[in-house]
Amino acid sequence: MKSKPVEKKRKARDEESDSESDDELGNGLFDGVLEASEDEEDYIPSDEIDDGDSESEASEGSEDTEEEDDDALLSDDIPSDVEGDDEMGKLSKGAEELEITEPGVDPKPKHQEEEHRNYRIEKDANGGERYIYDEIDPVYDSDDSDAQGPVNTIGDIPLSFYDSYPHIGYDINGKKIMRPATGDALQSLLDTIEVPKGWTGLTDVNTGNPLNLTQEELELVRRVQHGLVPDEGYDPYPDTVEWFTSKQETMPLSAAPEPKRRFLPSKNEAKQVMKLVRAIREGRILPYKPPEEREREEEEKEEVQFDLWQDEEPAAPNPMHIPAPKLPPPGYEMSYNPPEEYLPTKEEREEWEKTDPEDREKEFLPQKYNSLRKVPAWGTLVKERFERCMDLYLAPRVRKNRLNIDPNSLLPKLPSPAELKPFPTVVQTIFRGHEGTVRSVAIDPVSFPCSNICMTNADHQQTGVALATGGSDGTVRVWELLTGRQVWSVRLSSEDPVYAVRWRPTKDAFILAASAGEDVFLMVPTHSSVTPTLDQASRDVLAAGFGYATNGQQPAAAPGKEPAGKWARPGTKLEDAGVLVRVTVRSAVKVITWHRRGDHFATVSPEGQRSSVAIHTLSKHLTQIPFRKLHGLAQTVVFHPLKPLFFVATMRTVRCYDLQKVELVKIVQPGAKWISSLDIHSGGDHLIVGSYDRRLLWHDLDLSNRPHKTMRFHPKAIRAVRYHKGGLPLFADTSDDGTLQIFYGKVPNDQLESPTIVPVKQLKGHKVVNQVGVVDIDWHPREPWCVSAGADGTARLWM
Amino acid sequence: MAKIKKKGQSGQAKNYITRTQAVKKLQISLPDFRKLCIWKGIYPREPRSRKKVSKSATASTTFYYTKDIQYLQHEPLLQKFREQKVLEKKISRALGRGDVSDAARLERNAGRPDQTGKPRYTLHHVIRERYPTFIDAIRDLDDCLSMLFLFANLPSTTSVPAKMIARCERLCHEFQHYLITSHSLRKSFLSIKGIYYQANIQGEDVLWLVPYKFNQRVVGDIDFRIMGTFVEFYMTLLGFVNYRLYSSIGLKYPPKFDQTKDDKGAELAALTLEGVNLATNDETTKAIASGEGHGPDPKVQAGVDKLVKKLRTESDGDKADEEMAEGEDEEEKATDAIDKFEPAAPGGDVLPQPTYTGNDPSKLFANCTFFLSRETPRQSLEFILRAFGCKRIGWDPILGEGSFTTDESDPSITHQIVDRPIIQAATTEQGDGEDNQTAQKLGPNQRYPGRIYVQPQWVWDCVNDEELKGPELYAPGAALPPHLSPFVKPTQGQYDPTVPLEEQETEGEALDAEIEDAKDEAESEEEDSEVDNDMDVADDNDDDEEDSDAEEDEEEEDDEEEDEDEEEVLLRQRELEAEISGKTVKSKQVDPKLKAKLDKKKALERKKKEEAEDLERAKGMLSKKKRKLFEQMQYTNKKKSTEDMKLRSKRRKLEKEKAAGKA
Repeated sequence: MKSKPVEKKRKARDEESDSESDDELGNGLFDGVLEASEDEEDYIPSDEIDDGDSESEASEGSEDTEEEDDDALLSDDIPSDVEGDDEMGKLSKGAEELEITEPGVDPKPKHQEEEHRNYRIEKDANGGERYIYDEIDPVYDSDDSDAQGPVNTIGDIPLSFYDSYPHIGYDINGKKIMRPATGDALQSLLDTIEVPKGWTGLTDVNTGNPLNLTQEELELVRRVQHGLVPDEGYDPYPDTVEWFTSKQETMPLSAAPEPKRRFLPSKNEAKQVMKLVRAIREGRILPYKPPEEREREEEEKEEVQFDLWQDEEPAAPNPMHIPAPKLPPPGYEMSYNPPEEYLPTKEEREEWEKTDPEDREKEFLPQKYNSLRKVPAWGTLVKERFERCMDLYLAPRVRKNRLNIDPNSLLPKLPSPAELKPFPTVVQTIFRGHEGTVRSVAIDPVSFPCSNICMTNADHQQTGVALATGGSDGTVRVWELLTGRQVWSVRLSSEDPVYAVRWRPTKDAFILAASAGEDVFLMVPTHSSVTPTLDQASRDVLAAGFGYATNGQQPAAAPGKEPAGKWARPGTKLEDAGVLVRVTVRSAVKVITWHRRGDHFATVSPEGQRSSVAIHTLSKHLTQIPFRKLHGLAQTVVFHPLKPLFFVATMRTVRCYDLQKVELVKIVQPGAKWISSLDIHSGGDHLIVGSYDRRLLWHDLDLSNRPHKTMRFHPKAIRAVRYHKGGLPLFADTSDDGTLQIFYGKVPNDQLESPTIVPVKQLKGHKVVNQVGVVDIDWHPREPWCVSAGADGTARLWM
Repeated sequence: MAKIKKKGQSGQAKNYITRTQAVKKLQISLPDFRKLCIWKGIYPREPRSRKKVSKSATASTTFYYTKDIQYLQHEPLLQKFREQKVLEKKISRALGRGDVSDAARLERNAGRPDQTGKPRYTLHHVIRERYPTFIDAIRDLDDCLSMLFLFANLPSTTSVPAKMIARCERLCHEFQHYLITSHSLRKSFLSIKGIYYQANIQGEDVLWLVPYKFNQRVVGDIDFRIMGTFVEFYMTLLGFVNYRLYSSIGLKYPPKFDQTKDDKGAELAALTLEGVNLATNDETTKAIASGEGHGPDPKVQAGVDKLVKKLRTESDGDKADEEMAEGEDEEEKATDAIDKFEPAAPGGDVLPQPTYTGNDPSKLFANCTFFLSRETPRQSLEFILRAFGCKRIGWDPILGEGSFTTDESDPSITHQIVDRPIIQAATTEQGDGEDNQTAQKLGPNQRYPGRIYVQPQWVWDCVNDEELKGPELYAPGAALPPHLSPFVKPTQGQYDPTVPLEEQETEGEALDAEIEDAKDEAESEEEDSEVDNDMDVADDNDDDEEDSDAEEDEEEEDDEEEDEDEEEVLLRQRELEAEISGKTVKSKQVDPKLKAKLDKKKALERKKKEEAEDLERAKGMLSKKKRKLFEQMQYTNKKKSTEDMKLRSKRRKLEKEKAAGKA
């Protein structure tokens, strides 16, 4: 036990320092702090062990004074009386003895200890020894045995680190602690033979000395190891001392009588019990079964089946519900042994393999197996089924009306080709003579006595033998229709083209109206078939107005305002040629339309602003402007064949006016961008409109304001449209692409039926000059013939 | 001024709901929503205008009717899903705390249908909702049966529990038993995908596909959870349908299931049908007995019956029951049949009545005893034969249990179905080569006398034609006639392989073919005469005409005249050439027939061209919408007709080859 002397020494030093510090600082707080800080270091346990050692050694030393043991323990450090002194003396002696027995202990420190004792020995009155101890400095920890300094300050490192050194560590003052001398071989042999008391064979970690334990300590260790209470005398389970119940109390604590409820069964409990009973009856609580058994039973339990549709009642199908379409049944090509023609050829197979699986038209290739046993499993069956599942729940369903009808039934019922005839097919006559464009053509409606054309029947009246044309060269020419011979010609103007020529539609006179610039000329051409009486009648008709004008019945024009039209004689030169009347309007006339009675005709001069449409009365030589204001540029006008209605086509719309009531009746909207021409069916209920944006529009006036049929067969603008007026169900249009198109357009007698319109013929022949093709067309009044005027300077008769 | 309408507040925008919105509204997870949609039969809709419907900038893909989703909100299953979700949460929480025993206890409560095949919920209310009447359910049985038959043949995996497969198999067998007893199977077809069956149940045609008995390959990304959801529903559906069907013919459902027999591969025979109650059972057995024995004394007969009943316990109980069921059927038929109304007095109108066809499907194979060789598909053959009235089917013992006999040499066998080739090598005729596997003492090519040997296809063709076909074409090893689908209904103008080619080809095709033939002949003649003459004249002309397709009438006429002229010129020239070279022009002049045909063809083409022109004109008169429709229809028709044409030409070629081979 090397620690002991060092410890003592340190203590002494502490005391010294204490006194010093007392002097210096005046209190021991600082010291205490210091000591506390020292306390925190690791050597405390060794201290305690040391203390224990010393105590046990002390007790060993004083075997006879067993009773005083406790006292001795208590008064370990601070013996205050004589007994304690004795004890202490014994103790120290014992310690000395012990230390001597210990092997290899340096005895030197003991002497040092004696020199530094903390007591003085004085003689008391009796002459005995008296130990007078130093005053105890009553600072914190002053009597703390734990604070005894460590022996070795190397800390918690193995001692083996110091194996190669002579020392085993350092003390608190930094001095080397030398290795305790190990006994030589003989000593060790002796040790093995004579086991010292308390020998454990262990080595003290801190000091390197063999660790010896006393019997008591060993006992303590044993008890702790066995999980017993370390203190031998302690009884954890003492007998209970029945302090109160052992005695019978004779007097009751309360004088209250026993309540009734103590003798009645509990209602609440009954309730609880009934709850359980009910649960058991209903099967909610089942007798306990081990979980495995319960699982097995559950598995064995069959799904309950019953007649789900016992009380079925057909519900009306939900209109929004679309049942999933069924998969199509397999066809011949799906057979395992299909007819051989279904098998793909080599090329087909290659192509199928080449295309992406998504792009394939069929998802499989037909295959043939000679016998059933060779048929393998279908590889993608699970996938196909899965895809079907996906379709069933993910694909939006749409009800599609599949038309399972013959497509041909969609086609309109067309009249048979034989029924469509007759219609013009070939060019019969070409009328050449005009320089520049032929602007307008018209076939005369006048019936001639069949004198020179038809010899067989004298009564028969022949109409449509004369053709009038007007051209850009300012001339009006009259031709023999069938032969193409020019019979009459007059130059109306040198610079203005003749935009329109129109025959007066009655049969009693042979009058032609033509426009050149701002003038409209009325003339009676000479023709071989015109009889003198007819000629005279015509001239009378034209002359009648002059008388009227001179009679002064014509309302005078407002002063300072230009009259709508000036009626005059065109001059002798023209009068000699047969041109009898000239009407001058405000701007250039492009269109002339006669009323069916022949007394009125309307002119249109598109540039003429509000006076663009003028209606002229032949019998009165009167010109009126019916519209104060027009919506858009007037393009063309037409009289209703039966009623007093008047159609004016502006660029976009066709307006229908009642001339008697002077009001707007209806606005027809063909939907065209720029209307070029207009004609009305002889029945008066149907209208065709041609437009520069290549449309030909058929209007049923009773039906709607919108077109009944739109025909777009021309690649270029449509110039003119015309119905056949003589009873044949034909109409035609002309276009800038140089063609005429002939349509069969039958208007049924029944109002409810819609008209049948059949495109019949495309007539090609005219040349396109300066992007202008065929400009005008007119039908023969009776025959299925038509005459067209072209920009190439010719007019052609088609029959 | 009227109140300004906000966008997305009314009309289409309100009628539709996206999937995400629907899931949010129902407060369930997407997989649960999917399940619910599958079971309730709710599917996405395609709105007329997606733009009007979607409120967000990103394009939503799936829209549902809002009404549909509202209807889902009242679904009791929703509560079950929520409970399940709560349970899952509890389990995960317990696991997170490390409370394993608690988690295990909760886990036991969580029925996982995807693992155990046993859900905690029932679906019958959904079935009742979706199919208010039984007929509705029958109408929708196609997919159900195809799916369940497929699953019955799938291997069990982690995603497909074995129990589910077993149940599918069971349900399918029960359904097959119904078809057998009620004789409602009508048609069947061997396709490359599997075997199609068509049954007529209470007037509704049901068509389903059964895969061949092989291990199914699972390819691609297949989500078995989705399939499982469907199968769960279909299993419930078929269970109830089976119940109803069984009770409709007076049988008890579920039929008795014999596990041991099933383990031995008895399949259909593992189920034993029973009558609904004992009284009927007795009656029917009586009926059977009387049918069998014509016993004079009813008392004695009854005693005998009892004895017989005791004697045959389980072994052939099913057969007896089947017979019994059939007996019942016959009785019913006697009462259900329509009476023939004969006019009592002259002068009344004759009202048509439906008549029974002469061939009763329940009697087709009634008098036959079949034996199936071990290479034939036993399951399908057994089913189809039984469904068409066959009572006695024997098969090789390795095909499983439940056969009438396993002895191939049984003298009662009338038909044997064989699907093996005739072995050429072992023609020793001595019966030397012994077959160890079957342990039958018969040589490879030897046959039992008095027995008809046919290939399996014979059965199917018989069934589809409703008559016993001659076995000559179906002899073992013979090249089989093509197996045709009985589901194709011949439509006018479509190619039909059963009709001879001459009856269905168009005039033009026939002419082409004849011309070809004539040319071939001519060529062969030429080869004989070895006159090196140019035969392309006709072809050239054809080409010319085809080129000048789009020409006017008059021009066309001119063309033809020109053509004729040209021909004449050519002929003359050839004559001249021949004169110079000193040969005859015989070969050209010899085939006036060919020329006539060519002329005919030309005329045909001209006619066709005229027709096309007319059509073009008529089309011009249609409105744009109608014209588009018309063109589309024409397109599809044309596609079909070209396909048919291809088939016809292929067949012509094949026939020619065959003829050549014969010659």
